[in-house]
Amino acid sequence: MSDQQLQSRQRVDTISPDDTPFAIRMRRIRVVSRNAFDELLKSRTATIGAIMMIMLLLTCILTPVLATHPPTKPNYRVRLQPASAEHYFGTDKFGRDIYSRVLWGGQRIVLISIAAVALGLALGIPLGVFAGFFGGRFDSISMRFVDGLIAFPGLLLYLLIITVAREWKLEGFWNDLILIFALGVNTMPEITRLTRGTSMVEAKKEYVEAAHVVGESSLYIALREILPNIVSPLIVNATVRLGYIILIIAALSFLGLGTPPPTPDWGSDLNVAREHMESHPMLAVYPGLAICYSVLAFNLFGDGLRDILDPRIADR
Amino acid sequence: MLIYAINRILQIIPVIFILSVLVFGFVHALPGDVIDTLTATDGEEDPEVRAALEEEFGLNKPIYVQYFIWVGSALQGDFGKSLVTRRPVNIELIERIPATVYLALVGIGLSILIAVPLGTLAAVRRNTLTDYSAQISSLAGISIPEFWFAILCILLFALHLGWLPSSGYAPLFEEPGKSVLYLILPALAVGFRQAAFTTRLTRSSMLDEISKDYVDTARSLGLSERKVIYKYTLRNAMIPTITISGLQLAGLLGGTVVLETIFSWPGIGLAIYSAIQLRDFPVIQAGVLVLGIMVVIINLLVDLLYRVLNPRVGLG
Amino acid sequence: MSKLKISNSFGQQTRREFLATTSAGMAAAAGAAATASMPGAALAAKKKGGTLRFSTRADARGLDPQRNVIYYVSHPLAATSGGLLDIDENMDIVPAIGEEWTVSDDMKTYTFKIRKGVTFHNGADVDAPAIKWNYDRVRDPKTSHSFHRSFFKLVKEITAVDKHTLRIELESPSAVFLASVTYYPVNLIAPNSVGQVDTHPIGCGPFKFVSWKRYAKTEMVRFENFWQTDAAGNSLPYLDAIEGYPKKEDKVRLTALRTGEVDLIENMSYADAANFKKTQTANYNTWDIPQVGAGYLAVQSKKGPFAMDAADGKLMRQALSHAIDKEAIHQAIFNGLSESLNGFFSSSSTWHMPDIKNVKEYDPEKSKAILRKLNAMNTPVAVVARQAYAYMHQTGEIVYSMLEEAGFKVTNEVFDNPVLRKKYKKADYGVDSTANSYRFEPDQWYSVNVLSTGPSTKLRTGYKNEAADKLIVAARQTRDKQVRMEMYTDVESMVNDDCALIYTHGIPLTSAATKKLKDYKPAFAGPFNISNGGVRVAYMDG
Repeated sequence: MSDQQLQSRQRVDTISPDDTPFAIRMRRIRVVSRNAFDELLKSRTATIGAIMMIMLLLTCILTPVLATHPPTKPNYRVRLQPASAEHYFGTDKFGRDIYSRVLWGGQRIVLISIAAVALGLALGIPLGVFAGFFGGRFDSISMRFVDGLIAFPGLLLYLLIITVAREWKLEGFWNDLILIFALGVNTMPEITRLTRGTSMVEAKKEYVEAAHVVGESSLYIALREILPNIVSPLIVNATVRLGYIILIIAALSFLGLGTPPPTPDWGSDLNVAREHMESHPMLAVYPGLAICYSVLAFNLFGDGLRDILDPRIADR
Repeated sequence: MLIYAINRILQIIPVIFILSVLVFGFVHALPGDVIDTLTATDGEEDPEVRAALEEEFGLNKPIYVQYFIWVGSALQGDFGKSLVTRRPVNIELIERIPATVYLALVGIGLSILIAVPLGTLAAVRRNTLTDYSAQISSLAGISIPEFWFAILCILLFALHLGWLPSSGYAPLFEEPGKSVLYLILPALAVGFRQAAFTTRLTRSSMLDEISKDYVDTARSLGLSERKVIYKYTLRNAMIPTITISGLQLAGLLGGTVVLETIFSWPGIGLAIYSAIQLRDFPVIQAGVLVLGIMVVIINLLVDLLYRVLNPRVGLG
Repeated sequence: MSKLKISNSFGQQTRREFLATTSAGMAAAAGAAATASMPGAALAAKKKGGTLRFSTRADARGLDPQRNVIYYVSHPLAATSGGLLDIDENMDIVPAIGEEWTVSDDMKTYTFKIRKGVTFHNGADVDAPAIKWNYDRVRDPKTSHSFHRSFFKLVKEITAVDKHTLRIELESPSAVFLASVTYYPVNLIAPNSVGQVDTHPIGCGPFKFVSWKRYAKTEMVRFENFWQTDAAGNSLPYLDAIEGYPKKEDKVRLTALRTGEVDLIENMSYADAANFKKTQTANYNTWDIPQVGAGYLAVQSKKGPFAMDAADGKLMRQALSHAIDKEAIHQAIFNGLSESLNGFFSSSSTWHMPDIKNVKEYDPEKSKAILRKLNAMNTPVAVVARQAYAYMHQTGEIVYSMLEEAGFKVTNEVFDNPVLRKKYKKADYGVDSTANSYRFEPDQWYSVNVLSTGPSTKLRTGYKNEAADKLIVAARQTRDKQVRMEMYTDVESMVNDDCALIYTHGIPLTSAATKKLKDYKPAFAGPFNISNGGVRVAYMDG
């Protein structure tokens, strides 16, 4: 996102040094609140997104309560049943309850994506801050490394990491850790670049030099300024990224690289459902819609947040 | 600008170096015994065969020597021969890369064709029905898993309506008519999703431009609304759209594995994926490296283009 | 497309010259229409031909048919395959290029009479020296695949006695050697074409290689000098060309058939097969292929609780076996299309053995009782399976639940082949849900997977039963089929009792084609290039 970097650099030129961007942004949000018409639309997106997201998270938390059947227990005598009072969404080819599988699958996929984004932030922010603040050789080496990761084409980085890790004898959650690692590593570059851009700007500010003169740790001072400054773009970025990661996980499971069966998994359930696409189309509908819903929830919420937090849009 | 360009071009050398180390490292970390995978089914292992094959593919040399030999011959355009087909890797690449590039280019082209008018219209008629439907459909495009959309397309257009072939590929220059027919559904699946991103971007950058001072100035000078929008704002608003389309194009190289599977599209992504499963390391290494270099070059061009189009951006 | 040198029919000549100028895609339709309007149409119209577009599940890995296994079911390239002997639709071995053979009384010398006038696709003679050259190449570890080479393990010497006589001497007696010289596994290539074998192989099968784009398209055209003829003396095959389109996904293949992109598919997905047969009889022919191979569970019996030498190993394995509900697999995985197996060969095979004993019935309570008695509740079992085959890992998925129900502590993992082989070697798994393709010579199953010194046995299960070993070795040296059947029946009864291999199902598949494809029928285990059958006698009508 060199784009974002450029924007932040541009913005800084127009403001006076004693006004930190964060303060300006907060002020702008307050200005926005007064603009009733815009606010309506913006908060509508944010509100819908927030409601959808909260419902999603609640469902994930309450999955053990909401699920009606054990998700992995097959019963071939009741396979491929239509929806009923016993099985709200019917049963799959193994005779498992689809409703319960969708719920448990959701809990997993949401947890994995949150963990992956968290990992991406945990790796990306420090690297970005150090690279941006110290510059020089450390900056160029780490940024070339990040560029190298970005140059890794498409899904191939995931394919390689997962194939490498497949051999390790990992079970359940530990197996998901591989996925989290792969996705987290791939989330990192964007976060790093975002953070680095802001840090570079801050590092050149007078107060940092002033801190030097006083003998305070310049990094400490800078962090106090940098972190609040990047919080809002990072939140927006992370939220949208959550939705994106759900799609990637689904695609990887679709290729057979997710967590091994019979663990409930939207992507691999979709893949299995494909066999029965014509005779039992609903099999593919439930996990498909579940994916759409979650991605949409995160996207809408991210959009809403961006509208509120991004001063550029707030200017209008 | 020239200095900046030269600087950027020089920067890609370390990036490609890091990429080559990364891919080489990953490939050699892949679990399983390459020779065993290649030679064994029911047959017993034969140390003589192992020795002969290790010699033939240079696997008996220390790992760093293997790396330098690989890089050395790669610099001369020779990627060795495939472990599996025993044909030169170049043949495998030349057979496969055009299919992926073809799909990616047409997909992105389609995306721009859909997105630019739609995004512009949505911005110009902000908060009308047009705007809402554009926004909703682009949200849908972002949220629907690509492979799910592809399967639904096959069901509808190939199976129920019988308008289009469901899968397959024909080279553009050998059988143009057939080639285009085969391309439509996969390109639609690529284009739909990418268009969703681009529509949103076009809309927001149009809104950005419309709210700028020069638009008011132009209006007050008596220029027609149409002329203002299409001559000035659209041109400026296109800058981020072009940028993002370029980045999308880079992302599609190696990012279309799932679609290639669904449509039996003989692209490079699928070839690398199956090479990973067969541990055909010369093909994996060469494929990822060549795609990666293409990604780096596209990113570079996008970056330079951005600066040429947008002279306000300071040269860093 | 190359033109014919000589043709036994004038009409055919005109037709082929015409076809040579027509694009392959429209050859079938345009060819038929054009011949009808040509002089001598009455004669030409009867001529069978056309282009068959054929979609398969898999594709060959490479072109050299001796370094790569060209599987006779799912690889389009198998249409170019030719060997010394053939198989027919019952998967019995029949004469081909080797017209006749004699076996010495000690079963150590096989002498083949080579058919005269047979050539490779490039015109070179298929004679005894050429075949000897091929077999020597297969025996050389540097140039062949270990799978092929394993069929010549017993060979001591190969001699081209004269141009049309080939003699093979074996180290030890074998009644089963004929199966080693059929086109699958051992394909012949023209000795003078060895330099181009990885790019443009020259074989002697019914179709000639034209081009290969891996996982996309294989083009092959009729071999005009193929040795086989139909009853009326017309040369086979009839089809002018075959285009192979490997499409990995079962669903994709079926859709391609239904949208008219291909004429013939194999491996229809199990979910669709039943419904398709019911609703599409008007437009398509379908063929049930009852047994492409057998599915079974391989129990890791080298070490751990199920080991051959563990005190309660056998009982523990029996506990596994009692937990397996074959009916559930039959329904859930194969949609009721498969057949439960108690031995390797299903009822469609001439080697089917009805009297196998010691079958462990499904009874999870028995499993639990055993586990309780041995104080072995919650014994860990890792169920593993191969990623490439859905029915394998889906069976694994169901076995996982069955074992869990019976009181084991189960994990389920799906690996790609290299990792799986590593797990085998380290004996780092519990139960492998797997399958083997159909072996028309039973020795190829028993000597490899049951015999304690068999390579697969050593790699995977570590199964060892001395009585079974003796029977397998003896059966290999027994000519009488009935006697051999009885021996193998005893072996299977032991296998069922020992439970290191637990047979589950015959792997069925369904092929389907448009009604335009005439006279086509695959062999019962799937091969489409068979003596007097399959693609050799099929043709496209209109």
